[in-house]
Amino acid sequence: MQLHSRFFGRGIAALLCASLLVSACGEKKAGSEQRSADFARLDAFPSTYSVTQSRPVLIQGATLLTGTGEQLENTDLLLKGGKIAQIGQDLKAPKDAQVVDGKGKWVTPGIIDVHSHLGDYPAPSIESSQDGNEMTSPNTAQVWAEHSVWTQDPQFPLALAGGVTTLQILPGSANLFGGRSVTLKNVPGRSVQDMKFPGAPYGLKMACGENPKRVYGSKGTSPSTRMGNVAGYRNAWIEASNYKKKWEEYAKKGGDEPERDLGLETLAGVLNGDILVHNHCYRGEEMAVMMDIAKEFDFQISTFHHAVEAYKVADLLAENNVCAAMWADWWGFKHEAFDMTEANIAIVDQAKACAMIHSDSGVGVQHLNEEVAKAMTAGQRAGFDIQPKDAVAWMTSNPAKALGIDAQTGSLEKGKMADVVVWSGNPFSVYTHVDQVFIDGELMYDRSDKKRQPRSDFELGILDAEGERL
Amino acid sequence: MKKLAVFCALALGVLTAGAYAESILIKGGKVHTLADMGSLESADVLVVDGKVEQVAPVLNVSADRVIDAKGKVVTPGVIAPISELGLVEISAASGTNDNAVTGESIGSAFNPVPAYNPKSTLIPFNRAGGVTSAVVFPAISTWDETAVAAQRVFAGRGFAIKLNGEFNSVEAKDVAQKAYLGETGAQLAGGSRANAYAKVENALSEAKEYRDNRAAIRRGEWRELNYSLADLEALQPVINGTEPLLITADRASDILAVIELAKAFDVKLVLLGAAEGWMVADQLAQAQVPVVIDAINNLPISFSSLGARLDNAALLTRAGVKVAISGPDYASTHNVYLSRQSAGNAVAHGLPYEEALKSISTNVADIFRLSGGTLEKGATADIVVWNGDPLEVTSYPEQVLIEGEPQSLVTRSTRLRDRHLKPAKGHGFGYRN
Repeated sequence: MQLHSRFFGRGIAALLCASLLVSACGEKKAGSEQRSADFARLDAFPSTYSVTQSRPVLIQGATLLTGTGEQLENTDLLLKGGKIAQIGQDLKAPKDAQVVDGKGKWVTPGIIDVHSHLGDYPAPSIESSQDGNEMTSPNTAQVWAEHSVWTQDPQFPLALAGGVTTLQILPGSANLFGGRSVTLKNVPGRSVQDMKFPGAPYGLKMACGENPKRVYGSKGTSPSTRMGNVAGYRNAWIEASNYKKKWEEYAKKGGDEPERDLGLETLAGVLNGDILVHNHCYRGEEMAVMMDIAKEFDFQISTFHHAVEAYKVADLLAENNVCAAMWADWWGFKHEAFDMTEANIAIVDQAKACAMIHSDSGVGVQHLNEEVAKAMTAGQRAGFDIQPKDAVAWMTSNPAKALGIDAQTGSLEKGKMADVVVWSGNPFSVYTHVDQVFIDGELMYDRSDKKRQPRSDFELGILDAEGERL
Repeated sequence: MKKLAVFCALALGVLTAGAYAESILIKGGKVHTLADMGSLESADVLVVDGKVEQVAPVLNVSADRVIDAKGKVVTPGVIAPISELGLVEISAASGTNDNAVTGESIGSAFNPVPAYNPKSTLIPFNRAGGVTSAVVFPAISTWDETAVAAQRVFAGRGFAIKLNGEFNSVEAKDVAQKAYLGETGAQLAGGSRANAYAKVENALSEAKEYRDNRAAIRRGEWRELNYSLADLEALQPVINGTEPLLITADRASDILAVIELAKAFDVKLVLLGAAEGWMVADQLAQAQVPVVIDAINNLPISFSSLGARLDNAALLTRAGVKVAISGPDYASTHNVYLSRQSAGNAVAHGLPYEEALKSISTNVADIFRLSGGTLEKGATADIVVWNGDPLEVTSYPEQVLIEGEPQSLVTRSTRLRDRHLKPAKGHGFGYRN
């Protein structure tokens, strides 16, 4: 019951998930180089994330899924200075290195969940902890998801034990514009800034379809229809365009400083190319409309989330450089989630669009490898040649692209952040465990060592004063 | 868990399951027995098989465990007369609240025992504050409109727990029935305290009518009754005097009315609140009605407590009323142990010291017929060794025994304190316990 109502509440915003392809995420659009104002306010709440990696790590003789389309057998991986230093055969262990026997084990890049509400919808889920959905106006672009994050949510360490090293925390989906997202490294943090992925772009959560029209329509206000939704988006973008122009003119010509507006700052940040649009959107035709709106106002959609019908418009997504984040098999809980195929991710992928798994769930986030395995199998049954070396990208490099952090993480490549998962076997088996998780080269989780399993403050003494929750 | 002395078992060469009792000798503390022996500047307390075996200035016996209490203070454990322990985890998280119900089906019959959670974090916390037992009562909130609309003044049955966190820690059920009169009763009963009074009167009358005509009523050959049979059953021990009726009232005139009511129905009454109790102390003493008060409350917070004052406990005790001191109103859940602070303030305002200790232990045990509350031969060994005066806010328990078992004093709060003792940058804290 509770799960359902929460899901429905969130579902709205998550609907429109336009996947922004790699390059579109990170790059500024040519022609809009009049960057007169820092609309994104990138330094307002700066990342204080730090790595305390001290010793190199050599993982020997494992099977590597690189996230770049390769499966390397019996290969060594050297992590050094927080980075991936070397990949090859018979690497020499540096002095003091921690050596991991990788025989029989598989290694992947750290898993990235592009759609999470951890911290904003924490466990325990009680009245006072529902901090993910500012359901007070169709446009709440002024709110930032990071300001709701309860860093002691015990769901973070559980996700870590599932191999998740990075996640995007999104506000919910009741609104046309839900607010700003934040990308976090999955490390214990006393403040959310301790977890903020250094330099990751912000996202703007938008939502198509049933959620906004239901939430506001039921209050007798606009939007109450899908056309009402679209009018709401367009009005806001008109306002944001004017706002952006006003500041740019001020930068050029001086005069009185225009007044700041938090919501318009975020939208102008999108128009400026600094903030990525993450659009909850289930239906194919709605995704098409959203891509037209992006053209009208000259911005890029990064990713459609919950894109149950992405397979219907996979070619359009590829053409527009938009990613799709999908479930393996969640469907049918509302009409716009009815046209489901388990081959969704595979079809989008084969159409050369950027496809990925996402969770939107405290349980799902712990099993994204299994979700990818199901989607991979569905793709194989549909006749595509999709192997683990390909499918792993759906939980690593492609979500990194969607978040604009693919230059730093998401694949096993020299020089990238040493965000690495060591699996007890093939990660696409339900019986496989996460043995170890490294974030920036530091051992953050070890299945065989209680001392390397972080626990949030909440978990201390909660069942038994002298014990931990688990 | 009970142990016989190890040497015994070894000598016999057998270990009988369940009969293995540890003996504990608490040596050289200042001991407040709160019994015939009074207070001893320095004494030894011997605990065997969960009971106090002996208290004497010096005991030359061996024991499995010796606690050095030199310079410390030894008392019976604190007993909380009113709490919601194990029924409420976070007041503002409704899923964790089992202390109250709405709807008309249950009033006096409400028995929250099945909802009791001995693993609540509040239990180790209050235990570490020196509380070894507590009476747990259901409640009715006047903030809850549906509860008010139900016009029900009986909250249901209280039970008693030991604070050892064990699944079998319910010490006694049906310790008292709770009802609201006075100003709160008025809010619950449609606007007038007289109506609340009438509701209790009617319920007790019907309970008697039911008692005297049970068979006919059960057969359906009787007039329609206002209260459900379950409710009337629940009131039977109240009208036959085996279970006290705990009634809330603060205003002096309300207290007098409650005394009259109890007299009329020959009910064993315990008064809860009694902010203006001192004004009618003689009548309370004469009627032998014990009171549960918050001794630190001196606010004229409502018109029924205009006479609230800090020497209420002293004046009541001097008049011969048996006084139990609870934590402040707001502390009926998380900080039940603050009854110590209230009692200390009562001493500061005239209550004799030993009387104050009794008001948070012995008297509570007497009123609700619980174990503990004294240190004398045969008493249940619920014992606290304090680093100083237990009523002083700078003092704290160093050892807590419940039924002779040494208890952990670790709490979530001490865990958090230790984890963050030296705040530092980075994520290392997540790996500290």
